[in-house]
Amino acid sequence: MEQEIVRYRKPTVILHWIHAGAFVTLFLTGLILFVPPLAILAQDGWTRLLHRIAAVIFIVAPLIYIPLNWKSSIRGIKDAFRWSAEDLGWLQAAPRYYFLCDEEAMPPQGHMNTGQKMWWFMVIVFGLIFAISGLIMWFLKGIVPPGVIQWFIFLHDVAFIATALMFFVHIYMSVVHPLVRPLRTGSWASMTRGKVSAEYARTHYGKWYEEVTSSKKRKE
Amino acid sequence: MADKAIMYDATKCTACRGCQVACKQWNENDEQGLEQTTNRGSYENPPDLSPRTWLRITFHEVEVNGKVKWLFNRQACMHCTDAACVRVCPNGTLYHNEYGTVSYNKDTCTGCGYCVEACPFHIPRLDGNKISGLAKMAKCAFCTQPGLDRISQGWEPACVKTCPPKALVYGNRDQLVLLAKQRVSELKSKGVPNANLYGEKELNGLHVMYILEESPELYGLPLDPQIPPVTIAWKGILQPIGWILGGLTLAGLALNYIVAREAKINRDLPGRKEK
Repeated sequence: MEQEIVRYRKPTVILHWIHAGAFVTLFLTGLILFVPPLAILAQDGWTRLLHRIAAVIFIVAPLIYIPLNWKSSIRGIKDAFRWSAEDLGWLQAAPRYYFLCDEEAMPPQGHMNTGQKMWWFMVIVFGLIFAISGLIMWFLKGIVPPGVIQWFIFLHDVAFIATALMFFVHIYMSVVHPLVRPLRTGSWASMTRGKVSAEYARTHYGKWYEEVTSSKKRKE
Repeated sequence: MADKAIMYDATKCTACRGCQVACKQWNENDEQGLEQTTNRGSYENPPDLSPRTWLRITFHEVEVNGKVKWLFNRQACMHCTDAACVRVCPNGTLYHNEYGTVSYNKDTCTGCGYCVEACPFHIPRLDGNKISGLAKMAKCAFCTQPGLDRISQGWEPACVKTCPPKALVYGNRDQLVLLAKQRVSELKSKGVPNANLYGEKELNGLHVMYILEESPELYGLPLDPQIPPVTIAWKGILQPIGWILGGLTLAGLALNYIVAREAKINRDLPGRKEK
């Protein structure tokens, strides 16, 4: 059997899918207010109720995850804000890699490549903006001046547009792009089973692969 | 059809509040129970508009040139031509009807409350549950509610019908503007120097116009009502940008798929097998 490496631990995989489910629900119930012909679906406000239920999950799930996985959470959050010259290398190689499928163009990557880091960064920043502006719109309506609520609706929409764009890219990269290896070895497997093949890790996350294998050797 | 309007002559109003009662009865808002109010030391009652109170007379005690004046005003939807509520309504629940006034379809209302925040006159009100978010907006619909539509029957709105001193007049908007201007100059010649017409030009023309004997501010009316800048920034700038960026992203991904698929097929041609 092909050797496999754990890429995401079980709690992380569970959090990802709970959060993904909440996000998609929030995204769709929000999107219909953005698209006038679809907005009629929001009639009687049942999508508002759904939006709120999903919002609670969206906020509570990480709040449960983070204290239970304190060390890896902090490390992960720090990773999102740590940018270096290596990220330039990724950005330079990305067009050749993603358009021309030239896999050799890409320098070795750490646990997260720059593209994933960009998504992760936006998840943190816009997740916070969503949560704060959403809670204000939910609970401070009629308490703070109407202009304040309107500016938070505006901010909520900014976050919506930014994350919607990155969300399209995220889905595309993980399930549609021609270079994505289906099911067993690639990115899909990493977030469903939590494991990737050693071969995939070596070719796509060279630096991370080195770290994992050398620490394993040390332990042995 | 010609735009319809209501002209409210504050100088004739006796604050009998017959319009308040007629509005409530005709629109069946009295059937939802009465609002309990307490004595606040004013004849003004109830203290504010609500989902069940679409029209009320406000009382203003003001000092003008050392003399106390008791001014009355009619607070209800202004039926703006450039209506912020119509701009922000996500699904067309609020719309301009054939008379140029602002109607709404209660069935399709999502309860989002955007209109409540955007209205420069703070007229629409939300009735619902704060936690679940299930709510419905309510406001004066110029007596065009389905089943309670007086205008299509050729009748005047309920408030106008009942007004004893004829302080409320209903008619074609352009004719009312002329009438109102006549009345203002008449008042001025009779020794009311500050008489003015409110609503002719505001927000491209309100469909409720006011003949006032003092500055609109003294009646609790904004001097220069505007669509809030945030409404314009949000609906007029941010959302179109969102559409453009969304379209560009999807187009970019489609292009990438076409190019990358071609590249991958070429790369995987026999003679260069994938590792």
